Amino acid sequence: MIIIQLVINIIFSASLIYIISQSFHLIYITCKYFNITHSISIAFGAYFTFFFIEQSFPIQIAIPLGIFTTILLALIIEQSLFRLLRKRNTHSLVLLIASLGLYIILQNIISISWGDTARFFRIGEIKAGNEIFGAHISDIQIATITISLFLLICTIFLFKKSNIGRQMSAIYSNEELACIFGINSDKVILWALGIGSSLAAITGILVALDTYFTPNMGFSLLLYGVVAMIIGGVSSTWGLVVGSFTLAIGQHLGAYFIDTKWMEAIIYIILILFLIMKPFGFSGGQLKKIDI
Amino acid sequence: MEYILHILIIILLYVMLTQSLTLTAGYSGLISLAHAGFYGIGAYTSAILSVNYGFPFLVTLPLAMILSGLIAVLVSVIALRTVDDYFIIITLGIQVVAFSIMNNWMDLTNGPLGIPGIPALSILGIEFSSKISFLILALLLTTVVFLILRNITKSPFARILIGLSEDEIFTKSLGKKVYTAKVISFTIGAMFAAIPGVLYAHYISYIDPTSFTVDESIFILSIVIIGGMRNLWGAAIAAAVLIILPEVLRFIGMPSNIAANMRQIIYGLALVIMMFKFSKGFISKPYSGQENKV
Repeated sequence: MIIIQLVINIIFSASLIYIISQSFHLIYITCKYFNITHSISIAFGAYFTFFFIEQSFPIQIAIPLGIFTTILLALIIEQSLFRLLRKRNTHSLVLLIASLGLYIILQNIISISWGDTARFFRIGEIKAGNEIFGAHISDIQIATITISLFLLICTIFLFKKSNIGRQMSAIYSNEELACIFGINSDKVILWALGIGSSLAAITGILVALDTYFTPNMGFSLLLYGVVAMIIGGVSSTWGLVVGSFTLAIGQHLGAYFIDTKWMEAIIYIILILFLIMKPFGFSGGQLKKIDI
Repeated sequence: MEYILHILIIILLYVMLTQSLTLTAGYSGLISLAHAGFYGIGAYTSAILSVNYGFPFLVTLPLAMILSGLIAVLVSVIALRTVDDYFIIITLGIQVVAFSIMNNWMDLTNGPLGIPGIPALSILGIEFSSKISFLILALLLTTVVFLILRNITKSPFARILIGLSEDEIFTKSLGKKVYTAKVISFTIGAMFAAIPGVLYAHYISYIDPTSFTVDESIFILSIVIIGGMRNLWGAAIAAAVLIILPEVLRFIGMPSNIAANMRQIIYGLALVIMMFKFSKGFISKPYSGQENKV
């Protein structure tokens, strides 16, 4: 039975990491820097939903409102701050630090407004999880896995069929050429940020429903996503899936055979091993600026 | 009075921390988020050695520096295969692993419970248990660290570092050993970060992993950036301002938990504003013929 439980846990963790890494990937390929501020969208998704529930909205309305507010905030930040920095032809490192600074500001604003304590959504009564072959899985975990599968199909559709997805790939492979062909990179970045932030907000809400939420919940989650993207390779959606599964398998096998408290360290050890042995990730896409 | 002395001592510890990172992050452009890790390695080495084995300060200090330096060489050889953004993510990983070890390796570090009862600092029988004597010792060490770092930053070696941070390929084409220079710079930074760690352990007499978190690393890096990246005095002033700031906020009547948040908001804001200033990259002023910057 323990094997089935382990497999279920791995699939659940991988789904969560996949959603985050997909959301980060969308933003990374268009903006081309590590946007740390993105992690605050995860926390904002949970906190805005919490806010709307406190205003006595039913949860079916509070969740879309929370996601919508998060997207709006991300777009405002992009338009009012990062667009100005990008227009100055700023180095990606500088953008990373600016986004780190903004993350610190926003995270502390959440701390001041809602406090640092862990909070929960109180919906429905607490019940035992569903049983499958003797293993337990909660409703939220089933929902997470379903949503991530759905999002995987949507992303494949986005990149293969839709106009905006193709424009994103175009900007990723050559921004100047894309601009010559009349693609408005500002518009594409806004689209990527909008979709990415909504995915981040969904993750935040799912985590909040499953366990609890704190102001700095987004940071380590986002880093899992970033690591999944680096080890999976940036060039394909399947790379992200493989990366997420690698992390989830490493995490849970480590937790099972060693101890749960080393989970966080294992993730980074996997990353370091990958950078030594397979510096371009599974999909082989040029991601790392190695050896000039 | 005791309170002011305490603040002064903490400022001096941070001055050492930030000045050592100024060499790594400012001069060689290796923006590292692992500095609190090395600070912690220093603190834990001296705490474990002095509590369990009764080693004196004069032995633990060099041992802590050597251990921190060795670990720095090991990790930088791996981490320096990457540049820029990826280097930051890797150093973040190193920081998380270091914190994990401090937090989870119960047998060695006593985990989240921390190590209590670290003896007061004594050199050749002279005890530095009062705050004023500790302050003098810290001031002395800070001055020594400052003078060494200033000499390094004025040396030809620092010019290689500045060169490689601004144009790595060009520096390489001049025949400079870029990779070695990076490893050396990272290692020196880490070794000097161990000194305030050792002092901190003896001063507070109790350490636990929460003093050496990712947030601490971000804070140290912010001070370096706000201080102007390649400016040892700037880093010292920024450290003093950011340490005093929450005390002032508390003094004017702000609740202490909000004062801590306000400090973070202010340095976050300073980071964003500084990035507009540095938007062309971390490039120094044109060389004016003589080194007048400290």
